[in-house]
Amino acid sequence: MVDEQERLLPIANVGRIMKQILPPSAKVSKEAKQTMQECATEFISFVTGEASDKCRKENRKTVNGDDICWALGALGFDNYAEAIVRYLHKYREAERDKATQNKASCSRSSQDKDEGDSSEDKSDQQPHQQIDVPTPSARV
Amino acid sequence: MRQAGSYSGILISGKTGPHLLPLARIKKIMKKSGDGVKMISGESPIVFSKACEMFIKELTQRSWMVTMQGKRRTLNKEDVASAVMATDLFDFLLNLVSEMDTSKSS
Repeated sequence: MVDEQERLLPIANVGRIMKQILPPSAKVSKEAKQTMQECATEFISFVTGEASDKCRKENRKTVNGDDICWALGALGFDNYAEAIVRYLHKYREAERDKATQNKASCSRSSQDKDEGDSSEDKSDQQPHQQIDVPTPSARV
Repeated sequence: MRQAGSYSGILISGKTGPHLLPLARIKKIMKKSGDGVKMISGESPIVFSKACEMFIKELTQRSWMVTMQGKRRTLNKEDVASAVMATDLFDFLLNLVSEMDTSKSS
């Protein structure tokens, strides 16, 4: 049972996002949220698969943000791709700023990443310490 | 202290905002998406957090239109299935929604 939930995006988070776009009086059935969970999870797999194929063809080991943007475009999600290119750009800027600020302070370089992490690109693994947990990943 | 090997969530100096979806979970899903996926850059789950948010919102909106057509106020799973079937972009979900339909336990 836990296993099942672990492979999906958390239903609480999904439900919250749905609510953001619906009128306040709208109701969402639990099954609809579950369906959305499945769909969003499948979306990640689908796009990741495409991005990963591209990396393989180009003999690169790491799927990065640019690959995902590309995959979104390739699969027809053009409007997402555009928005995310901008988002990624802002994120990388923010990371650069942080890196410059953190140079003096003792931020351990992220040695403790698991085997899945790699940053072949310049944007290092998030060197910031554990911060806010914005989403209480509701493990139902 | 940074937790070894996982993010619970990352607040990026307000510029990109807090994330609505847990990054560690996204990463897990990415890794399971195929044999080829071995390494994932740190920014990838963050990118997906945004992409998923957009996806969920779009599918929800389309589903809600079906709900309204039926003059209902509760979005149900059939509405989601209808939205998927009506949208070419969501063809990759057709199997998923039709599977859920047939595995109805009633």
